[in-house]
Amino acid sequence: MSIRVGDALRPFRFGPVDPQNMVLWSEILRDPNPIHLDVEAVQAMGLGTRRINQGPINLAYLINGVLQSFPGGRIEQISNRFVGNVLEGDMIEVTGVVTAFELLVSGARVTCEMVLTVEGRGPAVKGTVRVLLST
Amino acid sequence: MIPDLPDVAGRSLSGTAFTIPPTQNARLCASVGITPADDGSAHPIYFYVATQVGMGETVAGLCVICRFDVKDGPLLGGCQVEFAEPLMVGAEYAVTGEIVSLTRKASKKLGVVDLLQYRLALSRDGRTVVSVMNSWILPREAKQ
Repeated sequence: MSIRVGDALRPFRFGPVDPQNMVLWSEILRDPNPIHLDVEAVQAMGLGTRRINQGPINLAYLINGVLQSFPGGRIEQISNRFVGNVLEGDMIEVTGVVTAFELLVSGARVTCEMVLTVEGRGPAVKGTVRVLLST
Repeated sequence: MIPDLPDVAGRSLSGTAFTIPPTQNARLCASVGITPADDGSAHPIYFYVATQVGMGETVAGLCVICRFDVKDGPLLGGCQVEFAEPLMVGAEYAVTGEIVSLTRKASKKLGVVDLLQYRLALSRDGRTVVSVMNSWILPREAKQ
C-alpha cells in the first residue's frame, strides 16, 4: 500500500450544478427552504440571483473526493465546516492531501484534509475525513 | 428586538426510524456524480439525511424551539460525524438525539448570532452506527 503523508488525492470535479438536483434534495431532506428552489426568493433575501445548493450536497461532493481516491474505503470520521455557498451553474473541485497514515494488520487508516472549491470564488467546504482501507 | 436565549440544552430530538430506500440512494448518488456502491452500502451523506428526516423536529420546528424564525435564514455551520459501520441501503435505523447547547456571541461578519449544537445518533439492533454533532448559526441581526 503506497500511501504517504503529503500525497495529493486525485481531484473530484463536478458541474455545472443543476438546480433540478436541489429540487430532488429538497424532497429527500424534506426541506422546503425556497433559497434552494426559487430565484425570486433568493433575490428577495438579498442573496444574489442564483439558487443556493443545500449544504449537505456540498458535503456529499467532499465525501466523493475521498471515495474516488480510495474505492471500497469505509468512512470512519468526518469533521467539516461550511465556509461558503455553491450556486446553480457553479463548477466545483474537491482536492485533498493525506495528513496521517496508519498501517493496520488488515489494511490501513488514512486521514485527509479536504477542500471543496468553487471555480472563481473560493472554498465552500473544508474538512477532515478519516477512511479505513481493507486489504 | 432579539429574544432572550431559551434554556434548551437537553431537549430531546429523538424521533422515528429511517430506512434508506434503494432507489433514492441511486438518485442521490447520481445527483452528486457518483455510482452507488455495489456492496449494499449507502452514500455516507445519509448520516445527515437520515438524522434530519428522522429526528423528532423539522428544521423549522427546531428553530421555533430556539425562538428563531426559519425564514431569517439559519446557516449550517458544520458537522462532526463518527461511523461505527457503514450505513446500508434498506436497513432501518432508529434516530435519537438532543440539543446540546444554544449560546449567543457577536460575529464579525453576521452581527449577533446564536450558535446551536445538537447531537443525533442512528442505531440498528441496539448498536449505535453513527453519531453526529451538528452546528447551526442563527443570525439575529445584520451587522451595520
